[in-house]
Amino acid sequence: MAKTNNLFLEFWKGIIKENPTFVLALGLCPTLAVSISVANAVGMGVAATFVLLGSNIMIALLKNFIPDKVRIPCYIVVIATFVTIAELSMKAYSPALNRALGIYVPLIVVNCMVLGRAEAFASKNNVVASILDALGMGVGFTVALILISAIRELLGAGKIAGFVVTKNFAPAAMIAMPSGALLVIGLLLGYFNYLKEKN
Amino acid sequence: MDNKLIIGSPPHVHTRETTARIMWMVTVSLVPAGIGAVVIFGLQALWLTLWSILAAVATEAVIQFLSKSKISIADGSAVLTGLLLAYNIPPNAPFWIPIAGSCFAIAIGKMVFGGLGQNIFNPALVGRAFLMASWPAAMTTFCAPLGKADAVTGATPLAALKEGKIVESLSYLDMLLGLRGGCIGEVCIIALLVGAVFLLIRGYISWHIPVSFIGSTALLMFIFGRQGAFTGDWLFHILNGGLLLGACFMATDYVTSPLTARGQIIFGIGCGVLTAVIRLWGGYPEGVSYAILMMNAATPLIDRYTRKRIYGT
Amino acid sequence: MDIGVFLSIFISAVFINNVILSRFLGLCSFIAISKETKPAFAMSMAVMFVITMSAIITWLIYRFLLIPFNMTYLRTISFILVIAAFVQFVEMVVRKTAPHLYKLFGIYLPLITVNCAVLGIAVLNSDMFMSDTTPVLASFFYSVFQAICAGIGYMLAMLLMSAIRERLELCNVPKALRDFPLGFIIAAIMSLSFLGFNGFKF
Repeated sequence: MAKTNNLFLEFWKGIIKENPTFVLALGLCPTLAVSISVANAVGMGVAATFVLLGSNIMIALLKNFIPDKVRIPCYIVVIATFVTIAELSMKAYSPALNRALGIYVPLIVVNCMVLGRAEAFASKNNVVASILDALGMGVGFTVALILISAIRELLGAGKIAGFVVTKNFAPAAMIAMPSGALLVIGLLLGYFNYLKEKN
Repeated sequence: MDNKLIIGSPPHVHTRETTARIMWMVTVSLVPAGIGAVVIFGLQALWLTLWSILAAVATEAVIQFLSKSKISIADGSAVLTGLLLAYNIPPNAPFWIPIAGSCFAIAIGKMVFGGLGQNIFNPALVGRAFLMASWPAAMTTFCAPLGKADAVTGATPLAALKEGKIVESLSYLDMLLGLRGGCIGEVCIIALLVGAVFLLIRGYISWHIPVSFIGSTALLMFIFGRQGAFTGDWLFHILNGGLLLGACFMATDYVTSPLTARGQIIFGIGCGVLTAVIRLWGGYPEGVSYAILMMNAATPLIDRYTRKRIYGT
Repeated sequence: MDIGVFLSIFISAVFINNVILSRFLGLCSFIAISKETKPAFAMSMAVMFVITMSAIITWLIYRFLLIPFNMTYLRTISFILVIAAFVQFVEMVVRKTAPHLYKLFGIYLPLITVNCAVLGIAVLNSDMFMSDTTPVLASFFYSVFQAICAGIGYMLAMLLMSAIRERLELCNVPKALRDFPLGFIIAAIMSLSFLGFNGFKF
């Protein structure tokens, strides 16, 4: 019982306590760039989770074979392989999404979140724990993305998940612009800091 | 004497002057331009200004109340921000435009930095940039002055110029009196001049920023004239757009402009060059507010390289 | 090749599509190293150098290796490997030949390997200038120029931000907003002010 409980914690920590976006502030570049609409956010979240999962499994399996000195290049090769798989599948099955996400799909390679989990977790833990860690982090990342993009879509375009909310409201287009992304994430980070201090 | 008044976060200034007094004096110096706008555009200009001031003061009070800090709306800085923001919107904008702008200006432009004296950017201009990005249509539709609807309707002279039309029906006297389309506070040049001279004589602002700002814009406009080099109508460019309002009342804000005279001249030239570049080649007809915002961002850097060295370091 | 293209690349890469403020590339280093002006400047110089060099290398690889052998799907993996190897190489050379320079810039070099700006610009170049996979001659110059301009844009944002944050050190900023959050809000306002260059035309 205690063991499953631990494993569950491994999963759960990525969503709240060590949320990659709001608490660890990792992998912010794609978070900001693709959070214009909820649809993009879900696409990015799924792609990143897939890469995280794949690379965490591979690195947890290979951790005893990789020499310590060249571990970072090795991790990058593993990650880049999964990114390429994600990129090609997205191109094949959902070209529209691929166009919307643009260069930010190949950029998952240099997403600090993926490399950070490989270095900090998968290289030190077994496969099962690494899978749960990857899933937790991936879900946490996706939830954060959806939160930010929902706010931006509502205020910046007057829509919720693509549906127009009200016609009498002129949305503040600035929130949908890059500067709006920076502003929203700044205020959200501040809000989470505030909550943390209060506890 | 005026250099003593240029303060970052308020230290103890041993004069009769207080931050509040300075704020109220700048506010008073802007009143003639407001009266001019009401005469030119009618009472709607007054209502928009009042909405803007009310929203600014209310936002500041609410945020200070919620964060349990001292409520300092009496120092006049929120009133001034609201007033300046209103002066930067068209007289026929819907009433919620100044309200949204003022809330954003005070909350994001000022309070997140910790309030007066610590903000990096001029709050009123942050509000204006937000409005321009969010509701460009409402911010660039101008009405003609009362009783002049037949002449230049709609666009401001600068916008007409950008579209390649030649503004003929407008004399320099019209421009001086403000009989043209434009934002509430920027049109009545003569009233702005009265206010600026008052501030200069009483030493509330120094000449460095306004002169270098207006001078460099005028020079560039003269050089890159329409009919080849050195033929530009520089007077037209001084009398139109928000140049005078921006150079005398917004770029000179103590908090967001450099401390030393040398820094202020660099700041002014930077503003002037950016304004001219945007007017000449940018997508927008007017660039004063963006130019000041960009130079606000550069102010700490300018201060860093122009501050006087302490002897021996 | 025409001079107008270069000018619009410059304005676009430095201001309108600033790598940090609008494309959000290299954001982590932007927030982490912009606390003081000196390291910010050193970091920007290092980034500018690596972006430019890697733009040249990746262009060569894309043009003479990936396109002829029909392997463009290997773009991501080959680019990141080449960039990582190049950065490692530079670090070794600088450490051996110029210890003084190494002390200034060296510590930032490993960080740059995973700086999204470097890979981002390389990918962007191949997307923008070689999308039809039959590159024009000019695409090399466009790519390199865009890389340099992106570096300038990175430096501009870094310098402004670091000076602002140095000043804010002395201020009484609300506790919850200190550091990261306020950094983002300032970046938002800077990005808003760069909108003034929107629609730039010569």
